[in-house]
This record gives sequence, C-alpha cells and structure tokens, in this order.
Amino acid sequence: MTVEEIIGLLRSCGADAWEITQTTEETWEFYFIRRRLDQNRVRSVEHIRVKVYRKSPDGQYLGSAQGEIYPTSSPEEAEKNIRTLLRSASYVKNPVYTLRKPEESASDPENGPIPSPSSVAEDFIRAVNQVPESASEDINSWELFVTSGQRRFLNSEGIDKTENTTSSALEIVLNARDASHEIELYRMYQSGTCDAETLVRDITETLAIGKNKLTARPTPALRKADVLFSNAAVLPVYEYFTDRMNAAFIVQGISDWKKDDPIAQARYDTITVSAVKTLPNSSANHAFDPEGAPTRDLVLIERNIPKNFYGNRQFSEYLSLSDSFQAENFRFEGGSETEESIRKGDYLEVLEFSDFQVSPLNGDIAGEIRLALWHCGGEVIPVSGGSVSGTMTDFVRTMRMSRALRHSDNYVIPAFTRLQGVTVTGAEAE
Amino acid sequence: MKAPFSPYLDRIVPGLKQLLILLGREYPYVSVLSTDSAGFAVRISQRSKSVSEKTMTTERGSVVRVWKDGRVSEVSFNRFDPDRPEETAQALLSSLRAQRDMLCAVSCPVYTTPPIPDEACQVRFEADTELLPEKTDMEKLIGSLTEISDSGMKKGSHMIDLSVSAQSTHISKLFLTANRDMRQSYVYSEGSVSAICSENGRMEVGHEGLSGRRGPEIFSGLTDCLDKALSTADELLRGERVVPGEYDIITTPEVTGLIAHEAFGHGVEMDMFVKNRALGSEYIGRRIASPLVTMHEGALCAESVTAYAFDDEGTLAGDVTEIEHGILRSGICDTLSALRLGCAPTGNGKRENYEHKAYTRMTNTLFDSGDSTLEEMIASVRYGYLLSGMQSGMEDPKHWGIQCIIDRGYEIRDGKLTGKIVTPVIMTGYVPDLLGSVTMVSRDREVFGNGGCGKGHKEWVKVADGGPCLKARARLG
Repeated sequence: MTVEEIIGLLRSCGADAWEITQTTEETWEFYFIRRRLDQNRVRSVEHIRVKVYRKSPDGQYLGSAQGEIYPTSSPEEAEKNIRTLLRSASYVKNPVYTLRKPEESASDPENGPIPSPSSVAEDFIRAVNQVPESASEDINSWELFVTSGQRRFLNSEGIDKTENTTSSALEIVLNARDASHEIELYRMYQSGTCDAETLVRDITETLAIGKNKLTARPTPALRKADVLFSNAAVLPVYEYFTDRMNAAFIVQGISDWKKDDPIAQARYDTITVSAVKTLPNSSANHAFDPEGAPTRDLVLIERNIPKNFYGNRQFSEYLSLSDSFQAENFRFEGGSETEESIRKGDYLEVLEFSDFQVSPLNGDIAGEIRLALWHCGGEVIPVSGGSVSGTMTDFVRTMRMSRALRHSDNYVIPAFTRLQGVTVTGAEAE
Repeated sequence: MKAPFSPYLDRIVPGLKQLLILLGREYPYVSVLSTDSAGFAVRISQRSKSVSEKTMTTERGSVVRVWKDGRVSEVSFNRFDPDRPEETAQALLSSLRAQRDMLCAVSCPVYTTPPIPDEACQVRFEADTELLPEKTDMEKLIGSLTEISDSGMKKGSHMIDLSVSAQSTHISKLFLTANRDMRQSYVYSEGSVSAICSENGRMEVGHEGLSGRRGPEIFSGLTDCLDKALSTADELLRGERVVPGEYDIITTPEVTGLIAHEAFGHGVEMDMFVKNRALGSEYIGRRIASPLVTMHEGALCAESVTAYAFDDEGTLAGDVTEIEHGILRSGICDTLSALRLGCAPTGNGKRENYEHKAYTRMTNTLFDSGDSTLEEMIASVRYGYLLSGMQSGMEDPKHWGIQCIIDRGYEIRDGKLTGKIVTPVIMTGYVPDLLGSVTMVSRDREVFGNGGCGKGHKEWVKVADGGPCLKARARLG
C-alpha cells in the first residue's frame, strides 16, 4: 500500500479527519566483542502509521484510534483496518479539539540529500578504534546503530511535510582490571552523526575513572549527604523539570505546576530552561513535530517560575496553549557556581548508577551507586554500593548548579549539580 | 478455541522458501523469521482516552540471518513480494555486500562463529484462547473500562485520576530454514488499574495488574484490581521514608519475581558469558544461594505472556534449572552464544521484534515454592519489613549487584505487622549475600507478566517472573 492509496481509502471510508506518518529508514548496525565484529545487520523498513478521528453526533467529543497499515497489506486488508479504527474511534470520548491546519504548520524544511549510514558508521568505527587501551583498561564490547531516512507527515487539513532524518546510538561497555579482579562501566551515547573528538575524549575519560572502581570500598552509611553530579548521569534530574512542563502531564494530573506559580522557593540557584529548535548534532533536531507543528525556541521555566507549557495538539488545546509543539531539545541555564565553589565541603560525587530514576509524579529519586567518590575532609575515597534517595520537591529548594554547561544529545544542562541532604544508604555493615 | 496462525504468513511461505534457496547460493546457512502479530491497547482515564492497534509486540516483517566463513549477518525488512523473491534476494545481498566492503575498508577482524546447525524440525503450535483481540467488541470493552474508572473515582479518596488499561496481542511467528518449518500462534493479554491520588501536596499511584497467555477474557478481572489499587494508593499516601539500614525482609511474590529477574536472571544470560560480562560464568557448580533456593527459567515453566513454543532463532522452548538447592547449575543461552561456548541453546534467543538483533533473554524466571506459610514467616521477624509491589529494577551481572525499587514496605515488629508503611523502598546488595540469606520460603507461588524487560537500557521484550514469599536479609534505603 502507498500513502496515496491509503488516503483514498480514508476518504472512501468516511473518516472525519486523519493523520498519517510515514517513515522510511535504513539502519546499519554493528556489534563488536572487543575489537572483533560479532555481527553486522541492516534494517530497511517502512512504517505507515494512521490515526483516524470521529466526532460525536453532538460535536462535543472527538474520538481517535491509531494503527499501522503495512506496506504488504492488500487493499482489502487496509480497508478493513481503517474501518475497524473508525469504529473504535467512535467509542472514544475525548473533549473536542482541532487538528493543525497548513497555515499553522512548519514551512517546508530545506532537505539536502539523505546522509549515507555507511559513511557515518565508518566514522564511528574509526573513532572507537582511536580509543587508547592498555593492559589494565580496555573496551569490552560495543554496539553501533546509525539510522538515516525520511519522515513524512500528512493530515486531512492539508499539511504534507517531509524531512530527512539521521540519528546514531553507540552503547559501549568498558573494563578496568588489576591482579585480583575486573570491573565494568557502561555508557550510551546518542547523537545525530559522529562527533569523533568528543566521543573519544569521553570514552578515554571513562576508562580512566574505571581505575577508581578497582579500589572502591563499600559506600559508608552516610545517612544524609550532599550529592554532586559531574557527568550525564544527572539527566533524569533535569528531565523531571521538562516532563512536568509537558501539557499531557498537566492535563493528566501527573504535574501540578501552574503558570506563573513558582515551583519552589530556592535558597541558591533557580531553574531556567527553554525548549530549543536545534542543538548541535542532536538526534532530536526536527523542523516539525509529530503533528506538523513548527519547532522553535520557547522559554518553559524562568527562575523557577513556569512560563510556557508545551505538548501535543490535544492537550495543548485543553490548556488553551496557542502555537504549542512537542519539544524534544532543551537548554538549561547555568547556575551561579564555579567548579571550585560547588566542590567545597564534604560530598558524594556519583559517577555511575545502576539505573538512576526520578519520578515525574512526586519527584522521588532512586539509584544504586555503582561508583562514587566520597570527598571527605580533603580525602577522596572511591566507593561503591548502596543507594541514593529523596525527593526533588525538597532538593529543588537547595539545588546548586555550575555556570559551566554540558551538552548531552538533546539536553544542555549545568556541568555540575549539587543536591543537599540526599539520603545515602551505605553498603558497608553498620 | 485455538489462536489461528496468520493467513498472511501462510501465504508468503512459498516466496520465503524461494528466498532461502536464492540466498543459499551464496551462504551455507540462511534462516528467516517472519512475524505477523496484531493487537490492541486501550487506556481509559477521566482525563484522556486512547485506542491503538499497537502494543509492545505488534509487528509484521521478516529478518534473514546468514552465516558464511564464521561471520553472522542479518537483514530486517518489511517489504516483501512473495511473487518476486528474487528482488528481495538482490536487495539483501546488495546491502550485505555494502557492509562487508565498509568493514574491509576499516580492517575489521571477525569474531568467528562455528557453522549454525540446521537439524530438521517441524512445528505447528496454536495455543488455546477464549477470545481473540481482533474479534473483541471494542464498544463493550471501552464501556467496561470506563465503568471501572468512574467507579474508582467515586470509591477512592484524594483521587486525581483513575486509569485503566487493557492490551491484547495475537502473536504469529514463522521460522524457516532449508530443514525447518516452524509455525506458532498464541494470544497474551495484560491489563492494569492505576489510581493517582494526592494529599497534602504528595502524589502517589496505586497500581495493580493482571496478565497471562490468554485472550481479552482476562479483562473481567480488572474489577478486582480496582479495590487493590485504591487500597495501595491510600497506603502510599500514609507512607513514611524507611530509615536506611539492613533489615529482615519478607518479599511478596511480585517482589520475589523482581529479585529472580534482576538479581539473578540477567546474571546467567550466557551471551554475557561470551563477553566475560557476568560473574555467573565462574560459579557454575558452586553454591550461590541458601539450600532453600531453587530457580527455574524457561518458556515452558508457566502459561504466561512469554510462553511460546519456540524462540526467535527456531530453538524449541525449554525449562532450565538454574539454581538447585542453592547450587548454580546452568545459565540460559541463545543459538550463537551456545555455539561460541560449546553448549546447547535453551530456547532463550529473543528479539524486541523482527527489526532487532536476537540476544539471550529471559522468559519465565521463577523461584520454586517451599513449605512455610506467610503467617509463620511474619511471626519469625523481630524487626523488618514485608515488601510489596514492584516499581523497577536494574541488573549488574558483572559485579552481581542488584537494584530493586519496591513500592512499599509494611513494618514488622516482634512478629506482627504494626500498620506502619514505608515508601518507596530501594533494595540494594550483592546477589549471593541476598540469596544466601534466604531462611524461609512459602508454599504458594504467583507469576507476573506485566510490563517489559530491557537489556541494559534498550531491547524491550515481554518476560514473566515470580515465585513464593521469601524471608531474607537485605539493605533498604
């Protein structure tokens, strides 16, 4: 089935309104064990996702249902799918909202040629091959995914936009060892194409911190301590703020933040964050969002005060947000601290978690410490085990951030973040 | 009734067999996995309602695996004309040649894999189900979910919203090689009730789910989930923070399952043995748990969301005894890892979908039952917690660390529940210490299959886990 054939079916089946997203992608994947190729893969797929809308007879409700029409579907099968979706949509009763119109949509993107996954993949492989290894620190295994393709969005109002897309992901596991044992560290890098210099530098630095884990002691039972984040492990803290500004979270009651109502009284630094149209080499750089809305720069929170929520058409209309869109790139402003000032006193610098989570609902944080540095009385002691916990609703009052910034794919965040009074469960016997 | 195998897949079999012959001219081993799985996902709350025909496992497409001179390569695709297999063969060969040329340009050595065996095997498996997702009366289902949501809002206190979800998927998978023709179809379903509430500025979610290798008929059980979700939400609002420290714990079956999965299951996925990423490889035949601990893993262990007849590499489903009375007996293994390690695959080669690589993955990971009652276990605790409800977990096979984030703990003092609740509870520790500290195991056993499991931070697949109640000692924070 082609998109044009599907549009014909949607019209003949009597859809009140519809949206189609067609993606055509080729991914080159490579899996390595140390320096040797474990497996190579090609992924060449086309997806056509259809969302149909049905208004209630009284016009108060707009129902929708979505599904996929496969390229291998027969016309009869596709028609049956669309009729089933339309029937389902008629049972869904959401307050009425409108679809985006062409005059509200993005201008046509300036698409150059679709980049070849081959050349980007080759750049990554050459970059990883540059990483210096030694007898005590090396690469255990890594997986590379480079995707390029096209995304086309159409709706029944007349929008028809196409853009070229490129994204990459590199998952890498690193080892450090001494005579008695071996440890591992994990990193996942996401980006547009390959920034070889940054990648090699970060992997090399990670290999260096692996030595710390070899000598790490069990984390002491600190009960309460300041926790310093000095790498991308802190991202869930910043995602907490952007998630809670999403219109969907507001409408669904997951976030109770209100426009112009401060999220907290801060003793030190405050949060200022903007959605931004593009960030250098971000995998989330798009000319238009999944519903055809133009992406742009928009201040979300200014000095702890929510200014603009963002989100999809349905939830944005429910909040009477004009000109909103589904943001994916975010830029936080730095705080007031230098690295030197933020490192004063005793603190636990967590370098690696098993999995660090921050709940957008209540701000609860949780993470097992795989590797941290306990800075205590001028000493720096590598520690491992135990966990951090607490809630962002408390931490945001005393959060401190560096002026210097760090860029990680679709987020720019302060390079150093310090949370006060975090509960630290130790790993050593009490 | 039987869940019927996909007519679409039946129709393309001749074309796929021709594709195998064409590719076989260049590659000594060729297999194809083709999938056609349909389903629905409905979510009803007071604030928004959605219907989708996409679930975690709906898909239609194929993946070809080839082996030659020790190298394994794959191509995933979803455009295939069974009347023109030569076009697909040309496209696939061209893609693989382009990759080979690039790899030659960067002088990339290959991790050599022995030839993939291809013994003859014919399978036709259609599991029993009462209803099919594609035949579901959506008006009736949406109506009943709406009733549950409305009723919950009236019954609950401090309610913000009550969300009810129902998902059902009819899986059809076909695996072909020169000597194998394997076809399976089954239906699995899962549903949940989430009560979102708020009091004094604190927000919590009480959550209760159900699942099984059954059709949409299981959603009648969501009414029972409602009362449990509301009760949990109330308890969470009253919850305090646990004082960090080491405690006696009793895990309810859901938390036992989380331990089985995170603390141990990932640690014996043998593709991690190939990379020297799992401590488990050094402990086969050694004691790693209390003699009370026996653990099984395999698609045959329970009729759960992951109870298939064969895996995504065409290996028949198994039932592996991983731990027997505290001794580590075996891990689980996909086909390629088995070839590299010189052992037999266990039916655990799974893909997120046809677009993804196969890894060693869990299916049902279950502790065996013991002979205590929960009442006896509670009575034996001087000071500790009964842990209930899972939020998430994370594996660390290299260092055998665990991270389990648990919904809530009920305080026990002097053998009695005090009514005090702590939330959330982060349980961490060293796996052999935790499993070695198990001193009581209950008689009953439950299996849970809601949600999904990632490998690291990606590759999401359906799994199930569970077991009885365990009494152990653990660090909580």
